[in-house]
Amino acid sequence: MPREIITLQVGQCGNQIGMEFWKQLCLEHGISKEGILEDFATQGGDRKDVFFYQADDQHYIPRALLIDLEPRVINGIQNSDYRNLYNHENIFVSDHGGGAGNNWASGYHQGKGVEEDIMDMIDREADGSDSLEGFVLCHSIAGGTGSGMGSYLLEALNDRYSKKLVQTYSVFPNQMETSDVVVQPYNSLLTLKRLTVNADCVVVLDNTALNRIAVERLHLSNPTFAQTNSLVSTVMSASTTTLRYPGYMNNDLVGLLASLIPTPRCHFLMTGYTPLTVERQANVIRKTTVLDVMRRLLQSKNIMVSSYARTKEASQAKYISILNIIQGEVDPTQVHESLQRIRERKLVNFIEWGPASIQVALSRKSPYVQTAHRVSGLMLASHTSIRHLFSKCLSQYEKLRKKQAFLDNYRKFPMFADNDLSEFDESRDIIESLVDEYKACESPDYIKWGMEDPGHSLTAEGNASGTLDPKLEV
Amino acid sequence: MEEEDQRKVTDLVIELVRRLLSQQNPQNASPNSPHFSQSLRYALRILSSRLTPSVSPDADAVAESIKRRLATQGNSSDALTFADLYTKFASKNGPGSVNNKWAVLYLLKIISEDRKTAISGMDSSVFLPKLGLNDDEMGNDLRVLNAKENREKAWKNGVLLVSKDPENLREISFREYGNLVEEENEVTEEVLVRDVLYACQGIDGKYVKFDSNLDGYALSDSIKVPRATRTIVRKLCELGWLFRKVKGYISESMDRFPAEDVGTVGQAFCAALQDELSEYYKLLAVLEAQSTNPIPLVSENASSGNYLSLRRLSVWFAEPMVKMRLMAILVDKCKALRGGAMVGAIHLHAQHGDPLVNDFMRRLLRRVCSPLFEMVRSWVLEGELEDIFAEFFIVGQPVKAESLWREGYRLHAGMLPLFISQSIAQRILRTGKSINFLRVCCDDRGWADAATEAVAAAGVTTRRGGLGYGETDALESLVMEAAKRIDKHLLDVIYKRYKFKEHCLAIKRYLLLGQGDFVQYLMDIVGPELSEPANTISSFKLAGLLESAIRSSNAQYDDPDILDRLRVKMMPHGTGDRGWDVFSLEYDARVPLDTVFTESVMTRYLRIFNFLWKLRRVEHALIGAWKTMKPNCLTSHVYTKLQHAVKLQLLSTLRRCQVLWDEMNHFVTNLQYYIMFEVLEVSWSNFSNEMEVAKDLDDLLAAHEKYLHSIVEKSLLGERSQTLYKSLFVLFDLILQFRSHADRLYEGIHELQARTAESSLSSRDKNKPRQTKDKSSEPGSWIREGRKALTQRASEFLQNMGQDLDALATEYKSLLEGFLTQLPVQQHVDLKFLLFRLDFTEFYTRQHATM
Repeated sequence: MPREIITLQVGQCGNQIGMEFWKQLCLEHGISKEGILEDFATQGGDRKDVFFYQADDQHYIPRALLIDLEPRVINGIQNSDYRNLYNHENIFVSDHGGGAGNNWASGYHQGKGVEEDIMDMIDREADGSDSLEGFVLCHSIAGGTGSGMGSYLLEALNDRYSKKLVQTYSVFPNQMETSDVVVQPYNSLLTLKRLTVNADCVVVLDNTALNRIAVERLHLSNPTFAQTNSLVSTVMSASTTTLRYPGYMNNDLVGLLASLIPTPRCHFLMTGYTPLTVERQANVIRKTTVLDVMRRLLQSKNIMVSSYARTKEASQAKYISILNIIQGEVDPTQVHESLQRIRERKLVNFIEWGPASIQVALSRKSPYVQTAHRVSGLMLASHTSIRHLFSKCLSQYEKLRKKQAFLDNYRKFPMFADNDLSEFDESRDIIESLVDEYKACESPDYIKWGMEDPGHSLTAEGNASGTLDPKLEV
Repeated sequence: MEEEDQRKVTDLVIELVRRLLSQQNPQNASPNSPHFSQSLRYALRILSSRLTPSVSPDADAVAESIKRRLATQGNSSDALTFADLYTKFASKNGPGSVNNKWAVLYLLKIISEDRKTAISGMDSSVFLPKLGLNDDEMGNDLRVLNAKENREKAWKNGVLLVSKDPENLREISFREYGNLVEEENEVTEEVLVRDVLYACQGIDGKYVKFDSNLDGYALSDSIKVPRATRTIVRKLCELGWLFRKVKGYISESMDRFPAEDVGTVGQAFCAALQDELSEYYKLLAVLEAQSTNPIPLVSENASSGNYLSLRRLSVWFAEPMVKMRLMAILVDKCKALRGGAMVGAIHLHAQHGDPLVNDFMRRLLRRVCSPLFEMVRSWVLEGELEDIFAEFFIVGQPVKAESLWREGYRLHAGMLPLFISQSIAQRILRTGKSINFLRVCCDDRGWADAATEAVAAAGVTTRRGGLGYGETDALESLVMEAAKRIDKHLLDVIYKRYKFKEHCLAIKRYLLLGQGDFVQYLMDIVGPELSEPANTISSFKLAGLLESAIRSSNAQYDDPDILDRLRVKMMPHGTGDRGWDVFSLEYDARVPLDTVFTESVMTRYLRIFNFLWKLRRVEHALIGAWKTMKPNCLTSHVYTKLQHAVKLQLLSTLRRCQVLWDEMNHFVTNLQYYIMFEVLEVSWSNFSNEMEVAKDLDDLLAAHEKYLHSIVEKSLLGERSQTLYKSLFVLFDLILQFRSHADRLYEGIHELQARTAESSLSSRDKNKPRQTKDKSSEPGSWIREGRKALTQRASEFLQNMGQDLDALATEYKSLLEGFLTQLPVQQHVDLKFLLFRLDFTEFYTRQHATM
């Protein structure tokens, strides 16, 4: 009865990072490219059945659905060494293969069209699980398929599997360079709404920050997608280690996420990882102790989300929760000492409206993957500064929207037919209220936030249309 | 006859003087010349004097020195001839031979040296020794002498023979004294000596008898002897008294022997005493033989003679007296003692500066200790307790295999002799115990090799009696070597064959919930079952559920032997108990590991399990609550249709619920982190380290005890933290209550959500409000009510829930406050760690300050 997790990789980006993720998992579990358990992989102690199941011939198959509207990336996977790993029934490529043209509305609309096929696949996978824990969606929020179709799938999952967890690994576009996708702000906004409303947990992977890390920390002058994707797969596999190597705590996704997300709306997580290496790159080997790792994880340069906050705002930003997953051979007594040191030095600001602490999960390291470092660490954290990322999205959207630019592409689809752009407004309102809620979390009075509204008495019965308090719309 | 001898001698002397004088001056040689008579008198005086040479009277030594001189002078053939002659001369015994061979040789040597130095004349006769030849053999001797003289180049110096003068004044006075003594004493000394000798063998003599009033041997008062004699007799007879005592003890012990209270050590003691006594008997036999020789008067031949007087006896007795006294003391001391205690008592007397006593005691102790050492040897090397008479300082008692180690054997302090130190005794105990443990519990044969190796290393023979008293070093090294090897072997067996560490890990994984996925599934599937009343739960069914939890978690890859030992245990339950209260897991350690995991140890594990299980249950409940209120669960837009105030109310209630959840979750999670890092893992890593360095099973037991103790203490299960533990459980119960509140709240909200959607539809269809129709107090019955009523119901429901939550929150806060303030008061440093974790951001400190 493992707590199975089904991975949905949607769109070009989703499939690329998903592919890297599975590569990493296969390495860590000693599963060959064909899905056969390697001879040396006998040490056990790991749980493969959370992410894999075994076919009749004992070969391991990922619980993954590969979905795209254009065949390029998926064809690439099917021609790669890993072609025999996946269940071919789980690969969905749209018949016409034309993609979504970087248009959220197109992706969303096409999603609706193929809902039945995809839900069939999901149902089949779900039925194959003993106690399905939830879904993981890998996608990017900027393009067409990942964002639009991903959004549609989020809604559908929320409808159909309302009791199951939905976690996403969402790649946010690089906002430092001009994108070839001009409608990126529209796509992002519309996807963000679904991430806010229909997902339980969003792990934000900010391409801007990933690039910065690749350049600054890994000294790559011109990082490729493959290189940034390997960062992503590192984060993804590290964040699932406690599920795959069961220990005393954090053995299921709910347990892992519950403490990280005390307030339902603030479920956007930042990640940090140290020490970082890119595949097969000889790096300077540093001394790694628990304290070193935990301290580095708190440094913003290791965080995979860019902070757009101004200095004053940054100083007010607070951690809502932190979970450090430390892998490797660690003396448990060091954990306490490190925590003490961190508290003494006041290295971390926590929310003031409730108790909080750095949670530390110790996890085993895969015995099959040789790493130069003794200890490595992943941080999953809910931090209020993430609101600046959303504000940035909002402001970019506002710029575009003011100009009424590129809206025609959207009007072609039923959701925005008849010039009904209320979906944009609604999304904007929701993101705005999300930003507000994060901001409120920085104050000690969060508990009372949104309650004081003297304009209305209890008896007044009227049209509570929600415009007065958009936060309540959700 | 004597007269004749005297005359003969005198004649010989006269002749000698005449001859010597005539060599110088023939006139002087006439017997009537004054010179002659003067010389004769001088010669007689010399003879009657007691001049003796200053060398010891050893015939062989003199012969040797003559021979050597001949050899060094180059006359090796002469030397050989002399040696030949001497052997012949020396072998001549019996009548007709020379008695005083030494004197003869000495005389010849002196004369020959005399000649060499070319000093001649009468003066040389000064050096002549006295010759004590038997008169009637004189002729023979002279012949021999002459023959010898001829060989050694004939020389003409004569030999002077003088006898004592019977008319000597001193002789007369001595004889008179002798008569006086005879008159004074009714009994002669010879008789007394014989009596004393009898007495010293425990036999009453003619005059010296055992007097039970005096408790000793004494001369009867009726016999007239001088006081000095009486005293000396009493003194000498002390030996008899002591002898009686020792002898009595021996014969008494020997008679009792087959009975148990003598024992082998006692036997050895008796045997040793017996040996000493036989030495003593030998002495007495010699003395007795000598006692037949008459006691000469002082005058007669005072320097020699094998006669015994009382005084001589007292000299003879000096040494036996010391020994006998010691023996008597030992006998006294040991009367009531046995075995090791006896050895110990004897050992106390061995520390004596007198080498005589020391030697004696050593000899005795060697004998006495040998059975004891034999016991040590066979115990240490074979694990055999050959102790029929309960003499050994290790006592065994029949126990069940599981308590063999702890209770099977113990040290008997009373039987432990002082020369075996406590620490060695402990090692001895442990080594034999290890062997027995290996034999009985581990079914192991390999220890014999270890024992053989130990013997080889210690260099002590395995033969019986290979060890003795005084070889404490050897004993120690044997014990150390054996202990080292046997202990190592035992630990090897425990670690390798019985997989001690694996079982400890298994206990940590299953009883201490280390195997998270297993625990989770178990919680998932037995949860519903355990909510039933305890008496309706079938432990059979639970066992089945346990089985399936194992099969579906990673536990399935565990060693089947380990899984087989994992059982469900239902604790005795009272009325009203739920399954949660009585469910627990149990680990069957089995022989031999049940020595470590005894029943009481397992009871403590059980307590820890119950605590951790409860903690897990609370965590599980909180996670469950989170799942019902997880981020994407309230997605519908229906709230927009709710009245604003109600919306606010809803929002506020939800927020309060979430914040309270957060606080509770923080508490439970951090408590869990504390348990994991500060308690379980730290204790485990200490335990592992100690396991590595453990040298014997006792170390291992101690390490495990420490491990368990630290877990119990740090998990608030110890005696000192009982109040904390209680308030913790109240907190847990509150959390469980919260869970059902939260569930109800969300149930209500979902219902509300559904109804709002419905009512908005129905209100459009039908305009008739149905406010009062189904008004019931239950939240689940808002069926087809009007919008207004619905709003009102919602508001009421939310208000109720809000109040409940507030009450819960207040109670929780105050309880937690109490708990937190108690924490720093605790003696345990580690509990401060818990406070540190719980109050990491100093949230509670601030809260406390503002309150």
